[in-house]
Amino acid sequence: MTPFELLEPPSLAKAIELLDPDDLSTRPIAGGTALMLMMKAGVFKPTRLISLAKIGPQFRRIATGPNGDLRIGAMTSLSMMEHDAIVGRHAPVIARAMRRLSNVRVRNVATIGGNLAHADPHMDLPPVLIALGASVVIAGRSGERTIPLEKLFVGYYETALQRDELISEVRIPSQHSRSTVYLKCTTGSVDDWPALGVAASIEADRSSIRSAALVVGAATEKPIRLNAAEAILSGTQATDAVLQRAGDAAADEVDLISDARGSAAYKRELLRVYVARAVSQALATNGGRG
Amino acid sequence: MATIVVQGKQAGRSLPRLDARDKVSGRAEYVHNMRLPGMLHGKIFRSSLPHGRIRSIDVAAARALPGVYRVVTADDVRKVIPHPYYGPAFHDQPVLAIDKVRYVGEPVAVVLADDPHVADAAVQLIVADYEEMPAVFDEVEAMTSTAFVHEELKPAGTFPDLKHLKGRKNTNIALDFQLRRGDVDKAFAEATHVFEHTFRTQQVLHLPLEPFVSIADAGTSGVTIYTASQSPSFVRIEIARLLGWPENRVRVKVPYLGGGFGAKIYIKLEALVTALSLIVHRPVKISLTMEEQFYTLTKHATTLHIKSAIDQDGRITARKCDVWWNGGAYADIGPRVTQKSGFTAPGPYDIENVSIDSYALYTHLPPAGALRGFGIPQLVWAYECHTDIIARAIGQDPVEFRRKNILREGRPQATGTLMKDAAIEAVLDRIAARMNWSGTFDRGSGTVRRGRGLAIGFKASISPTTSIAIVNIFADGSCGLYCSTVDMGQGSDTAMAQIVGEVLNLAAETIRVVHPDTDVTPYDMATLGSRSTFHMGHAVRIAAEDARDKVRALARELGLPEGTNFSIPDLFKKKYGMQAGNIVGVGSFIPSYTPPDHETGQTPNATPFWMIGGAGAEVEVDTETGHVKVSRLINVADLGRPINPKLVETQLSGASLMQLGFTMFEKMQFDGGQVTNASLADYKIPGIFDVPETIENEAVDAVQHSGPFGAKGVGESGTFSVSPAIANAIDDAVGVRLTELPLNPEAVFRALRAKANRPLPDA
Repeated sequence: MTPFELLEPPSLAKAIELLDPDDLSTRPIAGGTALMLMMKAGVFKPTRLISLAKIGPQFRRIATGPNGDLRIGAMTSLSMMEHDAIVGRHAPVIARAMRRLSNVRVRNVATIGGNLAHADPHMDLPPVLIALGASVVIAGRSGERTIPLEKLFVGYYETALQRDELISEVRIPSQHSRSTVYLKCTTGSVDDWPALGVAASIEADRSSIRSAALVVGAATEKPIRLNAAEAILSGTQATDAVLQRAGDAAADEVDLISDARGSAAYKRELLRVYVARAVSQALATNGGRG
Repeated sequence: MATIVVQGKQAGRSLPRLDARDKVSGRAEYVHNMRLPGMLHGKIFRSSLPHGRIRSIDVAAARALPGVYRVVTADDVRKVIPHPYYGPAFHDQPVLAIDKVRYVGEPVAVVLADDPHVADAAVQLIVADYEEMPAVFDEVEAMTSTAFVHEELKPAGTFPDLKHLKGRKNTNIALDFQLRRGDVDKAFAEATHVFEHTFRTQQVLHLPLEPFVSIADAGTSGVTIYTASQSPSFVRIEIARLLGWPENRVRVKVPYLGGGFGAKIYIKLEALVTALSLIVHRPVKISLTMEEQFYTLTKHATTLHIKSAIDQDGRITARKCDVWWNGGAYADIGPRVTQKSGFTAPGPYDIENVSIDSYALYTHLPPAGALRGFGIPQLVWAYECHTDIIARAIGQDPVEFRRKNILREGRPQATGTLMKDAAIEAVLDRIAARMNWSGTFDRGSGTVRRGRGLAIGFKASISPTTSIAIVNIFADGSCGLYCSTVDMGQGSDTAMAQIVGEVLNLAAETIRVVHPDTDVTPYDMATLGSRSTFHMGHAVRIAAEDARDKVRALARELGLPEGTNFSIPDLFKKKYGMQAGNIVGVGSFIPSYTPPDHETGQTPNATPFWMIGGAGAEVEVDTETGHVKVSRLINVADLGRPINPKLVETQLSGASLMQLGFTMFEKMQFDGGQVTNASLADYKIPGIFDVPETIENEAVDAVQHSGPFGAKGVGESGTFSVSPAIANAIDDAVGVRLTELPLNPEAVFRALRAKANRPLPDA
C-alpha cells in the first residue's frame, strides 16, 4: 500500500465539494472495509481519500419516517442495523442476513452507504434491500434525488452515482404483511462470499400469493429482479409445482457467471432450487412475522 | 534426595497451556512485533512468469523513489554469498532468482526502505524483462515433459540416499523411491479380484495466521537472526554453510510462533534477510503479507494410482502403488516426503506382496513442502477410499474387511519392519464402537440423505533425528529448561515442563522454559513431524534425570545421608556458603534406525515409532444442491500415553478441522501457474460455522514403550483419515464416489447427476 492523503470534512456538503469527478485517484471512504482490500491488492492506489467519518451524527442513525418507512443514515454501521430494535421489527430479515454476512469485526466498521455504493455483486444486503423495496437518497452538488435501490446498480461494480455524489440515506417502506427471506448459498466455508444469494419477499394469504419480489445476487454481474419467476408466483396458490415452475423460470431468465465458487451450469441448478426454497420459507414465516 | 514439595504426578496432567495468559493478554513475544534500532524493511519484487530467462531487471525508477534506501538483486547477493543456493534436501533454491525464474511469485529483487509502505510502492516500479520459456504444472506431465525446471539436480549431500541423484540432467524427477516386497506379479495373476483406481489431491497451503517473518542483524563478528521458524538449529547450520562461517557466529532466536504447520521449516526468509543485512550493514526485516504466503510454500498436490489383488476369502494379497508428488519449482523437503511417507502407501494392512514407486517432481509452481502429516493425508486419501470401494464391491462390511486385513502387532510392514506399539486395530475398534457401526443408522429421506464412513491411517516418524536439552537448577531450587523445540501453538512448552516436573518432582507451572536461542539452547533437528514429544521429550527427561543425579551427588559430596531432607537451596548454601551456583543436567537423544535398501526399500528398523490416526464421519447430503454437512466427526488416535490429555484432545480436533478444510473446499486455483485466489478473501479456511455439530476425540488406551513416560507424537494424527472417512460417508449416503479433493458441493452434485445419467454441462 502506498502513502496517500486523508481528509475528514465536517459536513456532507463539504465532503461532496472535495470529491473531484475528474480525478480517479480521489475516492470517498466510509468504513473502508472494501476499499482497504482493493488498496492492499494494489488494485486501487489513492492519492486522496475523503473520509466520511465526521460528516455528522444525523447520518449515523436509524429512524422511522412519516409514512412508517425506515430511514437509515448512510454512515450507519452494519452492526447497528443488525442490533437495532426498530430494524428488527420492521424487517427482521436484515438481522438474520447479517449473522452470516462477513464477520463481526467488519460489520462493526462497514457502513450501509459504503456497502451499497461499492456495488460488489457478491454482497448480501443489496438483494435483501431490493426485495424489501428500498430506495436510496443521493446527495450531490445540486441537491438530492431519490431512486429505487435496484436502479442504483447498473453493472459489475458500477452504480448510477456520479463521481461527486454520495448516498446519504437508505429508505425501506413499511412492510405491512410482507414476509421476506434471504438464502445465502456458499460453496466453500460457511462464511465464504456467496456463490448465490436469493431474496424473496412475499405477500400472501396463507398459501395464496398476492405478490412476490425475487432478487438474485452474487452469481450475476449485479443484483437482478427475477421478473418471470415473480409473474408465475403472483396471484397463484403456492403448490410444489408452482414453486418448481418459478425456479425453472428464474434459471432461464438470468445470465450467470462462472467463477471459483462454481460453474454457471451449477449455479443455474442452485438458483432453481433456492428460488423455490426461499419462497417456501417466506410463506412458512408469513403471518408469524417473517 | 533433597526435595522441596511433592507436587504429585506431572506427566498425565491436563495442565492448561503455560503460554495461554500471555497470548490472550497480548504479552507474548512474536517476531512480527519486533523492531531493532536502524532497522530497514524489505519488500519483495516477484516473478510474473512461471518459467523464463531474466533478460534485465530495471530498478532505476524504484531506486529514485524518495525514501528508498537500496534495491537489491541476485548480483548484490552473490557479493556476500558467492553460491546463494539453499534447501534441506537439494541446494536448488536461490536467495533471489539467478538467470531464470521458475514460478510465478519467485523473489527476484528486494527494495529496502525505512518505511515498508515506501518499499512497497517502489516494488511496483520495478520492471523485469524475461524471455518466456515453456512450463509444466501437472505432476504426471512433469515425468515426461521436456520443460525442465532445473538444468541439473543438486542434492545437498546431507542425505546419503539422495547421492545417486547428483548431477542428473534433463529430468524433473527430483527423487524416485521404490519399494519391492514379495512377488506382486504372481499375486495379481492368481487374484480372484483386481481393483485399480486413480486418486488426486489438490494444492493447498498452511496459512498460519502469522505469516513468514524474519529479521537479520549482521555485523563483522556474526549475525543474529530473529525468525518465526520451526527449525532454529537448521537455520544456524545452513546460514553458516552459505556464509562459510563457523556455527558460533550465527545466532538464531525464535520466540513464539503464530502457527507453523510445516511451513516454517528449514530456510524461508532467513538467507534473504541475512544477505540484505550484510549488504547494507543495517538490521533488515521482511514480513510477508498474508497474500505472499501463497507464493512461498504449499502442500503437495498428488496423483496416486493404487491397484490391489484380492483372494477368494477377501484378503488383500498384493498392492501396487504409484505416487506422483507435485513438488513445485524447488525441492524443499519434498524428496523426504516422497520416501519417508511413500513407504506407507499401501496402508496399515498386512499385505505379502507390495510394490511402491513414489516420485518427487519438479514443476513450475510454488514449492511444496511438509504440511501437518508429511504427505500421509494424501496417501490415506487414496488407500482408504480404495479399501472402501473394494469392501463394497465384494460385498463385505467396510469395518470387517479392514479387520480381516489389518496390520497387527508383530507383523511386518511393507518395509519388513515389524510393527510394535501400533494400536491400529484398537483405533478401528474404537471408531466403530463410537459410531455404533453394527447398529441401525438413520439414512435420511427426501432430499437429505445420510451416510457414514470411516478410515484409518498411519505414519512412521522421520528418522534418524537428534534432540538435546539442558536443565538448569538455580541456587534457590527453581528450575529452567533450555531446548530448541519451538512452541508454535501446539503446547510443547507445557508438555516439556511437565516432563521436567515429573522427574524433579516440581510443579510444571514453576519450570521456566527458555525459548530457542542457538547461543543458549542446544541443538534440535526441528519442530516437525510430531517428533518433539518423543525425541525432545526423551532429551528433556534425560537432562532432568542428569540434574537430579547431580543433586544427589552433591548431597553425597557434602556428607549427607541417602534420602536426606536437606532442601536444594540448603545444599547450595552448604556447598558455596551463600545462595550461589547451578546444577546443569544435559540430555541427548537419537533413536536407532536402519536405512532402507535402495533397490527394495526393505529395512528391519524403519522408524522409532508409529503414529495411528483414524476418523469416522456422519454426513448429510443435500441431493438437490450437492451440499455435504458433516454432522459428526470422530477422531481416534494411538499416541501412546498422553503427557497432557487436554492438549492431546485439542491437537486431534485442531488437526481434523484443518484437514476438514482441505477436504471440503480449500484449493489453490491456478491459471498458467498464477495463483488466482491468493488472499483470505478468496481462499477460505474453516470458520466456526464449519465445525461439525459433534466432534469427538479419543486417545486409545496404549503405551509407547520406547517413549518418554509412554508417550509419542500427536500433532499430525488428526489429519490422516478425515478426507477418506468423509468421501466414504458420501458414497454411503448417495452412492457416488469422488476420487479428487476437494469434495465441494459442485463436485458432489456433478457426480449425482452423472449417476442419474443426466450429466451437467461443463460451463
